Amino acid sequence: MTVPLGAYVAVSAVLFFIGCAGVLVRRNAVVILMCVELMLNAANLALVAFSRKYGSIDERGSVFVVFVFVIAAAEVAVGLAIILSAYRNRPVVDVDQIHQMKG
Amino acid sequence: MTFDFVEPVVFALLAIGVIAGGAAVVLLSRITAAALLMAFTFLSMAGMFVLLGAETLAAFQVLIYVGAITVLILYGVMFTKFSDRPRALFFQRQTPLAVVFVVAVAIPVALFSFSFTSAPPRPGGGDLSALATSVFTDFAFPFEIASVLLLAAMVGAIVLTGRDDPEEAARRRRR
Repeated sequence: MTVPLGAYVAVSAVLFFIGCAGVLVRRNAVVILMCVELMLNAANLALVAFSRKYGSIDERGSVFVVFVFVIAAAEVAVGLAIILSAYRNRPVVDVDQIHQMKG
Repeated sequence: MTFDFVEPVVFALLAIGVIAGGAAVVLLSRITAAALLMAFTFLSMAGMFVLLGAETLAAFQVLIYVGAITVLILYGVMFTKFSDRPRALFFQRQTPLAVVFVVAVAIPVALFSFSFTSAPPRPGGGDLSALATSVFTDFAFPFEIASVLLLAAMVGAIVLTGRDDPEEAARRRRR
């Protein structure tokens, strides 16, 4: 008895919704960054699950996951740099208080 | 005696780990604890990759997510000050509406996700050689683009956080 593909996709969907809710609801910019990482990871799980259980031809899904890793690393580095430089301007990390650039 | 029941049990434990960790990241108000639970979620996810037979990706997951990204986020947590305002931004007054919306979206998604069925399992063995072949043949150009992206992110992070203090720059020039 193996775990069906649907179970992996369901876990991935749940984690994606959790991350989405976090991005929408939380106030702290660092926590919002964490929730974006959760969403990226949920997408990774779906990609790996489909690649391993569906397509028996090649490793395309896994290659996409490697690129998602790269993009996640770049995103978190630049995101934290933006948060820290905004924090140095004015010491708040709450996204509803960072509105210097609001038009 | 067979051990066929092991895989679903391990999967259930990992799924509980992933979902509980993710929920804790959203719900906890202590940000350090949230960051550590995010690392726990990433570790459970690495276990799921192993269960799926993608050991190389599990290793990358531990190195990049649990190692690098969690440490970077903890760095950000330590550098910034917590605010004692309520942790949620909005939706406080629209909770019933939000619950209705989430349930209306989540139930079709769950039903849809269980409708996928697996192909027959492929022969065992590591995923590294197939992955490497794919990356360095079909995806060689995106691989190069990714390296340029990482370089740009590195330069961008340095430029954004670098201090452009005129006094300090003058002192450095004098030295």
